[in-house]
Amino acid sequence: MDFGNLFHNYAEAVAMILFGIGFSNLLLQKNLMKKIIGLNIMDTATYLFLALKGYIDGRKAPVVVDGIQSMEAYVNPIPSGLVLTGIVVSVSVTALMLSLTIRLYRRYHTLDLDEISTLLKKEDK
Amino acid sequence: MSDLWILSPVLLTLGVGIFLLVWSFAEHILAAKAFRPAEPAAGSKPEKEAGLKTVHGLAVGTLLAAAVLTLGAAWSGDRSVTLFYLMKDIPIYFHIDDISRWFVTVVTVIWVLVGIYSTVYMQHEGEEKRFFGFYLLVYGVLVCLDFSGNLVTMYLFYELMTLASFPLVLHNGSREAIMAALKYLFYSLCGAYMGLFGIYFLYRYCSSLTFMPGGTLSPEAVSGQAGILPVAVLLMLIGFGAKAGMFPLHAWLPTAHPVAPSPASAALSGIIVKSGVLAIIRVVYYIVGPDFLRGTWVQYTWMALTLVTVFMGSLLAYREPVLKKRLAYSTVSQVSYILFGLAVLSPAGFTGALLHVAFHAVVKCGLFLTAGIFLFCCGKTRVDQLAGIGRRMPAVLWCYTLFALALIGIPPTSGFVSKWYLAQGALHADIGVWSYVGPAVLLVSALLTAGYLLPITMKGFFPGQEESSGSAEDTEQKQRVQADTAGAAKRQEPKAAMLVPLLILAALALGMGLLPGVFTDFAGGIAALVI
Amino acid sequence: MDFIRNFSFFSIVLSLFSGPLSSILGRKWAKRVNTAEIILLGLMSVAVLWYVLQTGEAFVYTMGHFPAPWGNEIRAGVLEAFMAAFFCLIMLLCMWGGVRERESEIEASKQNLYYIMVNLLLCSLLALIYTNDLFTAYVFVEINTISACGLIMIRQNGRTIEAATRYMIMSLLGSGLLLLGLCFLYDLTGHLLMSNIQEAVHALVANGQYQTPLLVSISLMCVGLAIKSALFPFHTWLPDAYGYSTVSSAAILSSLVSKGYIFLLVKIFYRVIGFDIISSSKVIHVLFAFGIAGMIVGSVDAIRENDIRRMIAYSSVAQIGYIYMGFGLGTTAGVIASIYHVVCHAATKSLLFIAASGITDVSGGSRHFEDLTGAGYRNKLAGVAFTVGSLSMVGVPMFAGFISKLYFAQAAVGHTVKMLPTLIALAISTILNAVYFMKTVIRLYTPVKDGEKKAGYGTITVRQQPVKAVALILFILLNVILGLNAEPVIGLIRTGLEMFS
Repeated sequence: MDFGNLFHNYAEAVAMILFGIGFSNLLLQKNLMKKIIGLNIMDTATYLFLALKGYIDGRKAPVVVDGIQSMEAYVNPIPSGLVLTGIVVSVSVTALMLSLTIRLYRRYHTLDLDEISTLLKKEDK
Repeated sequence: MSDLWILSPVLLTLGVGIFLLVWSFAEHILAAKAFRPAEPAAGSKPEKEAGLKTVHGLAVGTLLAAAVLTLGAAWSGDRSVTLFYLMKDIPIYFHIDDISRWFVTVVTVIWVLVGIYSTVYMQHEGEEKRFFGFYLLVYGVLVCLDFSGNLVTMYLFYELMTLASFPLVLHNGSREAIMAALKYLFYSLCGAYMGLFGIYFLYRYCSSLTFMPGGTLSPEAVSGQAGILPVAVLLMLIGFGAKAGMFPLHAWLPTAHPVAPSPASAALSGIIVKSGVLAIIRVVYYIVGPDFLRGTWVQYTWMALTLVTVFMGSLLAYREPVLKKRLAYSTVSQVSYILFGLAVLSPAGFTGALLHVAFHAVVKCGLFLTAGIFLFCCGKTRVDQLAGIGRRMPAVLWCYTLFALALIGIPPTSGFVSKWYLAQGALHADIGVWSYVGPAVLLVSALLTAGYLLPITMKGFFPGQEESSGSAEDTEQKQRVQADTAGAAKRQEPKAAMLVPLLILAALALGMGLLPGVFTDFAGGIAALVI
Repeated sequence: MDFIRNFSFFSIVLSLFSGPLSSILGRKWAKRVNTAEIILLGLMSVAVLWYVLQTGEAFVYTMGHFPAPWGNEIRAGVLEAFMAAFFCLIMLLCMWGGVRERESEIEASKQNLYYIMVNLLLCSLLALIYTNDLFTAYVFVEINTISACGLIMIRQNGRTIEAATRYMIMSLLGSGLLLLGLCFLYDLTGHLLMSNIQEAVHALVANGQYQTPLLVSISLMCVGLAIKSALFPFHTWLPDAYGYSTVSSAAILSSLVSKGYIFLLVKIFYRVIGFDIISSSKVIHVLFAFGIAGMIVGSVDAIRENDIRRMIAYSSVAQIGYIYMGFGLGTTAGVIASIYHVVCHAATKSLLFIAASGITDVSGGSRHFEDLTGAGYRNKLAGVAFTVGSLSMVGVPMFAGFISKLYFAQAAVGHTVKMLPTLIALAISTILNAVYFMKTVIRLYTPVKDGEKKAGYGTITVRQQPVKAVALILFILLNVILGLNAEPVIGLIRTGLEMFS
């Protein structure tokens, strides 16, 4: 295995590690708040990855200033656009999750999802 | 597509059947009655009489017309119709061959006779529109089943038949009847699924699923991978055997047949169980091919299962006090005679099986109709209540006796001919020790059959004086018997519409035994074709 | 007739904008507008289908007339248009079937929100079906999730909120993986439009470059969508979400939402990667194994379940297993069988949910098995409908389920290695299905003993619930039609898949 390659693309590697951290948090944490934080880490990691893909060393953000029209002056704008869209999606999803968490907390006074399940089962009986 | 008219009887019966069902349903909604039929209210009968006459006329007329059309279609040569394609290479395909002719003729004769009988009998069960509606539907489906030209079409109508016939079982709506009907449904579905599983496999191993005498198994597909195929075939045998009451899936039959109204039990025992036989014939002789099974463990297992069923059915029938239940157990046993004949895979066995299909249909149907008459006219269900019945309705009991003799297989009745062929088939087939065990079991079972059927005749004609034991119950029963005997002093035969079908069946049971040549030739011809 | 080309785009926009409209209307009018809108969308999809069949080829609608590599595209072929029309039909029937429960179980002030959610869901489904752009697909996947979550939690009680939370968490895990897979693919190919990606992927495969990242990307997308469509073992959220939400939500979720993801997966298979590459990769073996496991485990769970709604929900797990098993066969025949199963499962499962609600209504509101005794007599149409649905799920001929099983078997038979596992799994799962569905039907038609009568055992006739009755009857008809004459539908699916490449 060529580890040099990995080292060269260290930023991508970091993005993947972050994604792993976020994913496992979202999956494994019991506390709902921590789950939501995990979700955000995961999404951010993806945006980091996307942004890296669009970035070309030594170039500027794709906003036309000083009348420079040449393609060589700017980075690829599409990933940046995707990141923006992704952030919008992520914000709305996070908001929804938070509102769900608030409702659950008001009902059951806990943020632990498993505990809520046990409470629900008691409620049924 | 010019042969499309062969489906006209189906269309006719389905149409009229659905019309009757809609009529019955509409009546329910308008009258806002409960689903469970109330006991037929005595007061309301006269006003309903006119409507009922129409229903009877319509049902019998339709049946007769459909019968003429069906027989016309069946005996006018090999015709085939492709209706539409269920899947790309699987059409809904009908083809009339000799097996179709044989089965459809049996079905038609029985169905018409039982239909005429029902016009009187069903008056005390009520809900006649619904009964005749489903009765006609089942006939249409059965004709389709018999005409089916490939495995999937047959499977389709096989399942439809289960669904259409199960309202007949739960007709009187009692808890017992509904549970029995559901048991019937469950066994049939499970059985059919085992069959379906086999069909999946046969897809791969057969060149086509269209019925061909001698089978369509393609050798190059089988070679090398045959390990699983026998298992699949055995599953199909057991699965389709469920309908034919073969051990181990036989338990629905003694539960479902007795609770149904007598004409329905007659139809179930006489015809519906035979569709299981038809399915097995089609699978073994027209798809897999007898050569594939001959001498394999599948054949021996199958044979063992049928023999177990033959013996067990007779034994259980012998011990059963309720007449209709006794007859149902007897069906279990007798249908396995047929399956045994098929299992030996020899021409004589096959001939015997085919003959027994027709003979048993006639005989068992007659027996159930007789039981229905006892129930209808005197309200008697148990065997021990039937003492002295012969004085009251001698003609009925004579018919019963004739049927009993035919079922046992005493010459010159029809049952003798078929059993003769069955035994011949077993003795001459190359199946080792089974060629002696088989006939021996059949013989023992025939003795048992005599043991459970003939006492009714004897007690019926010669009730004798029962010894009085001490218990009050016995005394009461004895009093009742005496009262019956007293009441039976004058003859009281049932109405002609009930008696005539019975007489015709009796004549058939005897006549087919006296002149077996036509039937044995025809069945033998098919046997020569497939083996 | 070229203006029909605009219909697929308009139908997405129309459903998006009728959401705000229903928020300002009164309750009754919102309902009417919603019905009218779904019917209109269905008709537009039928028109598109007709147009595509006439011209014989798929058409591409470029948004804002930006040309291919930069612009966003919508693409409509036979399969897309058929699916859109079918989804509209099911959606309409689900809305009709659950109308009474919706009005009693949801707070009056929130009923308009329900219609917004439905509009949003339909919009995202149509977009998932029609879009030719992978990132747009991702965005609409998220919109789909959000609106589905709204549909679950709109009936406010602890169970639904908990179910919605669990649903959200699993969905987010799935969409996170999907997004990452997309990014990988974008990184590899530099495109977002499906057709362009496919060209690039084929070039990569031909040159033998980047095989591992490609495999990783494919598996990420497959796993992501599998999680979102509740493939075993990611199904734990499903019984609660389907079991406790209001009935039209449950029906819509089970028959449409998960199917939208599955359809996206088919598009990824055929339009993005190319099915030849997919079928030679090892991913499909994994899908096959989990599909078969899902078939068995879902059915076993359903047998052990005592609550009729949750039982039907578990049965969905098994049915989704069927679909993935079909994908796992790795042949076009398998995919055709799976898509047909998507169609027939949508028609059957929503029927079952709606019939089950009619059954629980006449059993004192209880969903426990023992309380349902004899419910088939108290609500006759619901009883019949449930029976039809059960027979279809079990696979009795004449009903839709039989045909799809037949197609699965036929697809499996062409396969040397996977034939036996598939057939055995089909057989076992059919028998398991028969056990729990027939058990329920038998229970429904077991007469109640006099001593066992309970409070709330009312009767419901057809006249009391005409809308629901119409929905149930149409569902029954749909099942029978799909069961008796499947060949036209299969033909559409086949031509649609041919148009994909």
